[in-house]
Amino acid sequence: MAYAYLFKYIIIGDTGVGKSCLLLQFTDKRFQPVHDLTIGVEFGARMITIDGKQIKLQIWDTAGQESFRSITRSYYRGAAGALLVYDITRRDTFNHLTTWLEDARQHSNSNMVIMLIGNKSDLESRREVKKEEGEAFAREHGLIFMETSAKTASNVEEAFINTAKEIYEKIQEGVFDINNEANGIKIGPQHAATNSTLAGGQGGQQAGGGCC
Amino acid sequence: MFGRSRGWVGGQGKAKNIHSLDHLKYMYHVLTKNTTVTDHNRNLLVETIRSITEILIWGDQNDSSVFDFFLEKNMFAFFLNILRQKSGRYVCVQLLQTLNILFENISHETSLYYLLSNNHVNSIIVHKFDFSDEEIMAYYISFLKTLSLKLNNHTVHFFYNEHTNDFALYTEAIKFFNHPESMVRIAVRTITLNVYKVDNQQMLHYIRDKTAVPYFSNLVWFIGSHVIELDKCVQTDEEHKNRGKLSDLVAEHLDHLHYLNDILIINCEFLNDVLTDHLLNRLFLPLYVYSLVTQEQNEDRKINPQVSLYLLSQVFLIIHYQPLVNALADVILNGDLTVFTTQTEQNTHKTSANSGVRRFTKPPESLERSLEMSRHRGRKKTQKRPNYKNVGEEDEEERGAEEGADEEKAKEIEMVVMEKCKISDVSTLTEQNITDEEKSAAAAAGTEEQRSRPFLDMVYNALDCEKEDYHALFVLCLLFALSHSKGINPELLEKIQLPFPGEDRSSYSHVLVERLIRVMNHAALPDGKVRLATLELSCLLLKQSVLSASLHHQRRPSGLSGGCERRESSSSTEGEEIFLDMFEDEYRSMTSKPLNVEYLMMDASILLPPTGTPLTGIDFVKRLPCGDMEKTRRAIRVFFMLRALSLQLQGEPETQLPLTRPEDLIKTDDVLDLNNSDLIACMVVSKDGVQAQRFLAVDVYQMSLVEPETKRLGWGVVKFAGLLQDMQVSGVEDDSRALNITIHKPTSNPHAKPLPILQASFIFADHIRCIIAKQRLAKGRIQARRMKMQRIAALLDLPVQPSSEVLGFGQSSSTSASSSSSQLPFRFYDQARRGPAFASVDRVPGFAVAHVAQQRSSSPNSSSSITAHSESITMSGVSTHSMSGLEARAGGVRFLSRTMPESGFRPPHPGMSALSLAAFSSASPRRVH
Repeated sequence: MAYAYLFKYIIIGDTGVGKSCLLLQFTDKRFQPVHDLTIGVEFGARMITIDGKQIKLQIWDTAGQESFRSITRSYYRGAAGALLVYDITRRDTFNHLTTWLEDARQHSNSNMVIMLIGNKSDLESRREVKKEEGEAFAREHGLIFMETSAKTASNVEEAFINTAKEIYEKIQEGVFDINNEANGIKIGPQHAATNSTLAGGQGGQQAGGGCC
Repeated sequence: MFGRSRGWVGGQGKAKNIHSLDHLKYMYHVLTKNTTVTDHNRNLLVETIRSITEILIWGDQNDSSVFDFFLEKNMFAFFLNILRQKSGRYVCVQLLQTLNILFENISHETSLYYLLSNNHVNSIIVHKFDFSDEEIMAYYISFLKTLSLKLNNHTVHFFYNEHTNDFALYTEAIKFFNHPESMVRIAVRTITLNVYKVDNQQMLHYIRDKTAVPYFSNLVWFIGSHVIELDKCVQTDEEHKNRGKLSDLVAEHLDHLHYLNDILIINCEFLNDVLTDHLLNRLFLPLYVYSLVTQEQNEDRKINPQVSLYLLSQVFLIIHYQPLVNALADVILNGDLTVFTTQTEQNTHKTSANSGVRRFTKPPESLERSLEMSRHRGRKKTQKRPNYKNVGEEDEEERGAEEGADEEKAKEIEMVVMEKCKISDVSTLTEQNITDEEKSAAAAAGTEEQRSRPFLDMVYNALDCEKEDYHALFVLCLLFALSHSKGINPELLEKIQLPFPGEDRSSYSHVLVERLIRVMNHAALPDGKVRLATLELSCLLLKQSVLSASLHHQRRPSGLSGGCERRESSSSTEGEEIFLDMFEDEYRSMTSKPLNVEYLMMDASILLPPTGTPLTGIDFVKRLPCGDMEKTRRAIRVFFMLRALSLQLQGEPETQLPLTRPEDLIKTDDVLDLNNSDLIACMVVSKDGVQAQRFLAVDVYQMSLVEPETKRLGWGVVKFAGLLQDMQVSGVEDDSRALNITIHKPTSNPHAKPLPILQASFIFADHIRCIIAKQRLAKGRIQARRMKMQRIAALLDLPVQPSSEVLGFGQSSSTSASSSSSQLPFRFYDQARRGPAFASVDRVPGFAVAHVAQQRSSSPNSSSSITAHSESITMSGVSTHSMSGLEARAGGVRFLSRTMPESGFRPPHPGMSALSLAAFSSASPRRVH
């Protein structure tokens, strides 16, 4: 249970791109991917290790946000990372990425790490969006990119963990104010004390470094 | 052990066995054998529950008999049984995950009905989990959210029981409305919105009668508490250190407003009544509006006026619900302090001291307790459920239970009272309107009996920006928001005459316009403390006030602003060569990013006192300028804004700006008649080694590379065209026939690295042609820039010198300009003919230094001009022009000496605004009705 940090993620993207399946696939290894079963969940948590530190990822599916502006706003603001998912077999889900990204950029804090995910990479025969297109989109907008398959579990681990690594690096660089829980990062309960020196140092750095 | 082995085998062959009715039967068997949770069977149970989930979802998608079996054997009851054994975190989490998955993934409506039909779900909802565990909390609230997404007019009956008046999904969820974890709060909001969205009258009545008052009063208190924290954050700030925290608090406030707005736009009328009542009488009026006025009894004042102006602007920008914003606006525009006292008299039969009065007070009891009470009452002495939150409140609770019936009655009465008050409010407000009309009529007749409007007075007074524009910016935003709100009755706004400027009975519009002009006056001072955002907003509002009125109203204000712009911009022309680039840059960035008031009001940084330093990271338009460069930039922007305003007020189109209009330029693929043009053949070698044979042509503003047109002799097709002013030419060291030419794309961001649109070496036939080309380009560049500077000078109404004074250059340029521009639709043509007055751009390295020295001596604050000289290197080698250059310098100095007295401080004419106002008001004696 003990963790050094807790990172809150959100998953965004059109309906039906496999967000909740990705989430379940990552958070609960006991659910084995099977061909005749589509199963997902709206919330999940899992512990990972980065740089020898226990980090807890808490992932919130943003289902239900579509109808209410207030909900969209708040979700983005409270997250340190976002997985922006599209379906490689449906061109329209890729075309909507710009809108999703605009929303995300407008409402989130500027440090939020966004990972672009082309899901359903197992359905190669029905592919409508080339991998290169995803890569180009990610490059253009400064995102990390990966193609995954919730069905075969391919790259799912990596997608979540690489996002966490990026957030972790930003913390090390002092970009994130970890004392501010509104950023979607929480210091672990028992680490709060030991981290206070680090936090203090970081706070000072922030004040000084805030000018650039 | 079971789950373990399964994990290893995986695979499709085995999976088939696992996902089957038989396997579910086996799982059922396991459950019946393990009805009591022990340390030994815990893992087995967890894996069993998990497997059941998986089979059920598989069954829903592939084999419905699986589902039938689950229901037949009432397996849900086993879950409940396990849950009630206080079986610990591990099992709880598994169960909650199972439920989440179950309700998230079920696709068949009948399956859903079956799952909901036996009330087990409600039992699970009211189960007291250990909510101190963040994971359980998260799974639990996600579970409720998942359920709320399934709500519709049919399914709502599974959750709301009209006989017992129970709606656990809703009441349990709202208990967490102020949970410290933001994701939980968001989930609660989603749940409530999903509930309100269901159009079921009975359910909604229940919500209003039993939960609305406790929930909304607590919500309002919660929002208000955040506001007070926000205010404290502003008050205790030193040197902008609190900005991080402040921006969170501001974002939080915005979240709340958007949430409230989301509720209001669902448009459930009777819920909105209660919410409006609470917002208005418990938050917006007593906390925000009341704080606008400085009172002797300071202890009542809760927050700083600038904070309250800021927050009110946000309210009006986000919420457009008519009954709410109209009543709020009415108090601000017409109300006085009696709105905080009169109501008390009406509530003679009220029981609790603080209900009905417009006061920001803590709700008498916690939301949780209110809901408990209401449940007790509904059920007549149900056993009180243990409650992790109010441990230690036992006595109170019991007493409360005894008095329950009375309190309930009291509450119902209270609600009726509040509704009554609302109605009487409205009527008194309309009464006030009438008296206002009478009074302003009286005012027009000259017998001014000033009715006290402390809030409006405060708003107007805060527009004063002699020392700073801290408050003024917020006031302008508030006025902007008020006038753009769809929910405000237009008649109300006649008081400030924003959208209805034709109406001139009220004396206030004059006050407003006068204040706005005063803001502009201050902005136009060289050291005015008015930020660009403030100026832009006041221009917007002034336009809005007077533009739709008949034309002769407008003369005076525009004349005034013309005065401002001239004074201001002339002070800044020491910017020299870079001035032109800045001038065009500022124009680009200003037009590409017009002010968005809603975004401006989302920025917490303006809540802190205005600062000048860019080190804060605050946007240029939202702070004061820092250093000469920024002062110049600011002056240029002020000029643009006031010029645009002035033109618009006079109904004249802009013909001079931008200096370069894209439609006037030569573009790639244009076909030009080049007979009688000077063309130099050359080989263009681009950076990546691509070679092309081209002809170089130098035009007034542009250089172009052309290819002969095949069909018409003497005509050419443009392959590239670039602005001479953005060009840099340099020789190539070991090749006397070659030149390196770079042309940068103009950027609107002064910090961005200039992006080259052309970067190539040009190889000519011999060194003579090379020198000719170089000279022509260099001269062209100077001329292009000078002509633009002339146009700027003309724009600023600076004195233009007769061309005879600058003979050497003047002649050549005017001839070449007139000859070449005769073919082109450049708008400055007339000015060009007048000859160059603005020679300070023409500088060759040789005397640039001298020039600087001279400038230094003549103007103490021209240090910024040094930066300008780096560019003049392109001129080296133009020896033939040294004479004319000297002339030019002389002209430059003359120019400077001429502008210096102008640039000195001239305070705005004290009578000017008053004068213009007088003229303005005398020009509008008519009444429009």
